[in-house]
Amino acid sequence: MKLKHARFTLPIRIAKWSSMSLCFLLIGCGEASDSASNAASSSEVTLDAEGMMPARRQKAFKKIFHAVPSPIETAMLLERSGIQFNSESLHDLDKAVGYSTTELQSVNLGIYAGDLSYSVIFNQNQQSVDYLNTCRRLCDGLGVGDIINADLITRADNNRDIRDSLVDIVTDTFYALNGRFRENGMEEVSGLMAAGGWIEGVYLGTRSLSSSTDDLKLRIAEQKMTLDNLLGLLDSYAPTPALTAMKQALAPVEAAFAGVSITENPAAASAAEDGTVIISGGPEVKYDDATLAAISESIAAVRNQYAQ
Amino acid sequence: MNVILSAMTAIKKLPLAALALVMMFTAADASAQCRTFTKKRCLPQLEDYVQNDNYNTAVLIPGDEAELELTFFGDRAYRLLVCGHPVLGDLTFQVLDSRGNGIYDSTDKETDHFDFRVANTQQMTIRVQVPKTEAVIQHEGCVSIMVGSKG
Repeated sequence: MKLKHARFTLPIRIAKWSSMSLCFLLIGCGEASDSASNAASSSEVTLDAEGMMPARRQKAFKKIFHAVPSPIETAMLLERSGIQFNSESLHDLDKAVGYSTTELQSVNLGIYAGDLSYSVIFNQNQQSVDYLNTCRRLCDGLGVGDIINADLITRADNNRDIRDSLVDIVTDTFYALNGRFRENGMEEVSGLMAAGGWIEGVYLGTRSLSSSTDDLKLRIAEQKMTLDNLLGLLDSYAPTPALTAMKQALAPVEAAFAGVSITENPAAASAAEDGTVIISGGPEVKYDDATLAAISESIAAVRNQYAQ
Repeated sequence: MNVILSAMTAIKKLPLAALALVMMFTAADASAQCRTFTKKRCLPQLEDYVQNDNYNTAVLIPGDEAELELTFFGDRAYRLLVCGHPVLGDLTFQVLDSRGNGIYDSTDKETDHFDFRVANTQQMTIRVQVPKTEAVIQHEGCVSIMVGSKG
């Protein structure tokens, strides 16, 4: 009887799994892969025309994304705030070979990405290529070395005098890295890299506070909001010892930013004469020099903890 | 006899394991397709805005919502682009200030992006809806929330 039951259940189970696998094989949500770029257009047409992309779930949900400003965006902010380029503040390139754990490789990839962005925005051409090469070394260690490959380095080298091209190369590269980390379930690496990039941006912005413009000081104080974004990002991932350690390392920075007062006011959109939509209002940010000094000190401590 | 039974058990488990592998790789492939979709269909729409390199892309179905909270810096121009696979229909989105008050609503506007300049740095929330459908067979597709900035 048992044997008879087994005879019937096995084909049923196979049929069930086979139909499920068929459904999965039919699933698609975009075009052909990068490697098949030549055939991409025909694949797109096929997918769009057939529209055969059955959903794998039926119950709707809410997807929450967490994001922090990119290192390039932070570097642009620093430049506009009148900061002077200082190569001595940058992380030592030679230290990259010494980072052997995933944790240190990830955080330092973010730190070097911050330095790369800073170098690009301040037209430090050779330095930009050097930092990109260093990022490549860490990417190799993290198993995503194909994203910053020899062709990309050559392209960056050939475009080293064209800032906009370098900005595109850097943003495309780190977008691809973030995508790969998410696809491969490497949220920890993605979170630690974002943290490293944020830390380096604030670190570079606070190296010469005494001679900083009021605009730069305000921009530093406003990073309380981006720290909030970063902590939200880190909290959105399943806890790991490395993510927990990063949150603990950032606790003194968070405490220093507590001295920045943010009063929430309603924001409103209006149209300027040229038709541009302006969003005004919003939070009022207050801070004092002692708070900025505390931020500077605490961010240097966490940065040097990981970049040693 | 035991050997035969063990062999039979292994044979039974083999298709399940193989199919589980197929499912795993297919799910990964769907994610990879989303990255390709975003690169080809969405990124070009940012035009001369420098993209924020965050990867805010997910596979969604009708009725789903997505939300992104981000800090926008003062005196900077932004393009907010909500890019979804056509199979999902017309996505709608709203921009809310830090208190949850609505600043912009794309409903009834035939555009998938919102260009604006921020006077003061502030955190805002972008909320995206995938329209519900009465179709018997539902489809899923990639949705990407992209943010570009300049000047």
